[in-house]
Order: sequence, then C-alpha cells, then structure tokens
Amino acid sequence: MTTFQNSQSNGTHGSDDQGFGQRVDQIGSEAQHLWSNARSAVSDLGQTLDLKGRVERNPYGMMAAAIGVGYVLGGGLFTPLTGRILKLGVRLAMLPFVKDELMGMAEAALQGYQAGQSTMGGQSGVSGQGGAAGMGTSPRTGGPGNIS
Amino acid sequence: MEMNPQQIQDRAREFQERIVPQIDEARRNLVDMNHRMVSFIRANPGTCLVGAVALGFLIGKIASRR
Repeated sequence: MTTFQNSQSNGTHGSDDQGFGQRVDQIGSEAQHLWSNARSAVSDLGQTLDLKGRVERNPYGMMAAAIGVGYVLGGGLFTPLTGRILKLGVRLAMLPFVKDELMGMAEAALQGYQAGQSTMGGQSGVSGQGGAAGMGTSPRTGGPGNIS
Repeated sequence: MEMNPQQIQDRAREFQERIVPQIDEARRNLVDMNHRMVSFIRANPGTCLVGAVALGFLIGKIASRR
C-alpha cells in the first residue's frame, strides 16, 4: 500500500518538476527573445535618429537642440524667459530685412546728396567761369555758389 | 590741444598697429577653441548630448521657479 502511494507520489513530483523546468526554459527563452527584440528596437531607433551622424555633421546645432529638449523637460516652456528668447529671435530674424531697407535708404540719400553736390558744383562752376561777365547780368547765379 | 590732420593720421595708424595684432591673436584663439570644441563633441557625442540636456533641464528649472 505504501509502496503504491510512494510510487504514485514520486510520479507526480516528477511530472511537476518536468513542467516547472519546461516553464523556466520557456520563460528564459521568452526573456531572451524580448531582450533581443528590445536591442534590435534600440539599434533601429539609433539608426533612424542617427545621432552620431547628426552630431558629426552639425555639432553646435545638436547641442542647441539638446539644450532645448532639456529646457522643455525642465518646465521652462511657458515662462517669461521663453517669451524674451522668442522676441529676441524674431528681432534677429528681422535684422537682415531692416539692414537691407536701411542700406537702400542710405544709398538713395547718398545718391541724392551726390546729385545735389554735382548740380551745385556745375552751377558754381558756371558762375565762376562767367563771373566777370555774368555778375552784372544775372545776380542769382552767384547765389548758390555763395551758399556752397 | 589742437591736432592737425597729419597728427590724427599718425595717431590712427599707431592705434591700428597696436590693435590689429591683438585682434588677429584673439581671432586665432577663437578659431583654435572652436576646433577643439568641435573635435571634443565629435569624439564624445553621447556625453555632450546628455550634458546639454542636463544643462537645458537646469535652465528650465531655474526659469520655471521665477
């Protein structure tokens, strides 16, 4: 009687051990599979982002982008400092247009000034050449010459 | 103390001769520093990126406290 019970119980324990071992093996293989999937996903993400290549091509830009990411993560997005930085950025972006406009205005003013100078020089030259003859005839020709 | 144009020109030339080498040296130093920084960033991209994120995080924290 006892022998039967023992043999029966031994058989049951053996199948339990076998099932447990199979489960451990299955869990181990699944964990390995998960690990390999995670590694491949990380490597795929790394290849997609290509951080090394981007840093190689544009080191300062990537540093600025990383600082920006950290700034947003640190909660600095909706702060007055962000507003100031944006205002400064807009002003700096507008600077070339303003510079072109100012350069155009300065060139126009310079051309006008040079044209005025040449006109005045021509008039004074005329009055200077005909000074003796034209003094009595046209008193206004000496006017601009005196002003200049 | 009046200065004639020749004296002003001499002063300007003297000033230029004194300042231009300093500007050239400062430019060389800046170019050298830029090369060193770029090479360091290219040699250690992960460290530099993590450091930059941490720096930005600190700036964001300080800005959000105000």
